[in-house]
Amino acid sequence: MNAIEVQHLRRVYRTNIGVIRRKVKEVVAVEDISFDVRPGELFGLLGPNGAGKTTTVKMLTTLLIPTSGTATILGHDVVKDAQLIRSRIGFIFGGDRGLYWRLSGYDNLRYFSSLYHVEPEVSKKRIPYLLDLVGLADRGQEKVEGYSRGMKQRLHVARTLLHDPELLFLDEPTIGLDPVGARDLRLMVRNLQAEHKTILLTTHYMFEADALCQRIAVVNHGKLIALDTPEALKQDVKDLSVIELEVFGVSVDTIEALRALPHVTTVSIEDRDQTQALLVHSPHGSEALPDVMNCLNGIKIGKVVVREPTLEDAYVRLVEGHAS
Amino acid sequence: MSLKILSQDLRVIRTTGEMTLRQAAVSPFIIFTVLVQPLLVAMLALWMLADKKTNDGIYVVVGTGMSGLWSSLLFICGNSITVERWTGTLEALVATPANISVIVFGKNLANVLQSLASMVVCYLVAALLFNYQITVDQPLLFIISLLLTVIAFVSFGLILGPLFLLSPAVQNFQNGIEFPIYILAGFLFPIALLPNWTTPLSYLLAPYWAARALHVASSVGGTFSEIAFCWAMLILFSVIYLVGSRYLFRAVMYRVRVDATLGLE
Repeated sequence: MNAIEVQHLRRVYRTNIGVIRRKVKEVVAVEDISFDVRPGELFGLLGPNGAGKTTTVKMLTTLLIPTSGTATILGHDVVKDAQLIRSRIGFIFGGDRGLYWRLSGYDNLRYFSSLYHVEPEVSKKRIPYLLDLVGLADRGQEKVEGYSRGMKQRLHVARTLLHDPELLFLDEPTIGLDPVGARDLRLMVRNLQAEHKTILLTTHYMFEADALCQRIAVVNHGKLIALDTPEALKQDVKDLSVIELEVFGVSVDTIEALRALPHVTTVSIEDRDQTQALLVHSPHGSEALPDVMNCLNGIKIGKVVVREPTLEDAYVRLVEGHAS
Repeated sequence: MSLKILSQDLRVIRTTGEMTLRQAAVSPFIIFTVLVQPLLVAMLALWMLADKKTNDGIYVVVGTGMSGLWSSLLFICGNSITVERWTGTLEALVATPANISVIVFGKNLANVLQSLASMVVCYLVAALLFNYQITVDQPLLFIISLLLTVIAFVSFGLILGPLFLLSPAVQNFQNGIEFPIYILAGFLFPIALLPNWTTPLSYLLAPYWAARALHVASSVGGTFSEIAFCWAMLILFSVIYLVGSRYLFRAVMYRVRVDATLGLE
């Protein structure tokens, strides 16, 4: 039996708009997604903001009812058997919300251990152990409002492990963390997997998914567009080279002109502090460079690198390809 | 219900109550609702009575205490769910195996018990500031009435709780129902002063029977049969609220999972 089985899952949000003539607006957040997660697997759900990752996790953690389709967690249906599922799963939603800021870290854990029906004798030992595990042993008696974002996130990890769940849902757990905090959290995730916990991790950090996940499902606009191992996904872009250019102020017209070039398969742009990173995928590698430079005529260009594709490039190709 | 489930639920109620009180102790809004607002109501009522040289001090103490209980139930219990929604803890609570109605029960119990402080504040104001001789005519019956009042208010809160769970928009109606219940329940003056058509509405409110039981038990001349009738009505309404809330919670918890109103995204 799989830990998670998802069949044709769909979720539509309905909102009312207008005051006098009220209309119902429908937004399809998840559209016919199917996948399964094996016991002990660390499974990644990857996608840009608004792709439907959090909605999927909320349906699987029994917080939302699917509009159609089915999902079972450890053999139980997410709609009918919500109460049975809740005692066997743990979840973290990214960010520093979801904790009682006016209570201490210790009291937060004590409260949630009673809600998870952890026996008092067990929780007396488990809470100090978990505080120690997440590096909060010295700060456990302080109010959460004084914690940094990373400390709150680590407290979330401790909270979700209180009842020793078999299955963990980690929804963008490293979002907003500094590099050291994010690295520590990834290490914790790796250790949890070593304990044979099944983990569903959502993220839009490619290196995180590449480093941690055994299989990755890529979602975009609510649809599943790829599902495979990180290595297999990278194979899809093996034939390509990536020209990465540090640029300043590239217009939409320029990007469209680049996309129209022969031998260019994908073009994407990312903001990085004061600069932009322009990523051009081409099967011809450095041979395509003169045409690219021609298109960028008059634009200030910094560093230029031609490199092998990474999982991120495979992801960009998938998402861009799906969007177009 | 098995003994294990009962013990788990009691622990949830105890810890929820404890954490609610710990957080309330440092909340200016709760301090205002439980202590300052009833103090102002009490002073106003005592000044109005000052010239009459009556022995109505206990009536004001009870009435003000009841108004504190009601405000606390309506605002603190209701707002606590709204605050949980804002802070993202509502989803965390719902995702636990603990029954949400048991959690709300624990919250309501803590809030109602802490709001009894309103009565103590008013007693001190009336006795020390206005020199009223305050005596409770039938102390034992008063204590039993107070106990049944707490149970009835906590049960009434279980009807209000699901409505606040349903949608944050319910908060908009809080102010609108605070004072009508003050008046209809006869906290500070008898409902006989109101138009006749309002009387059936008062009879449908557990706070009315609670206020009446406490007023009769504390004032001179109250009969046991009258108090016992109020107790019966309080028990009846508590049972109705408890049974009704069971169905209400079930329906609302399904609805919020369909409407996606547990979190604010």
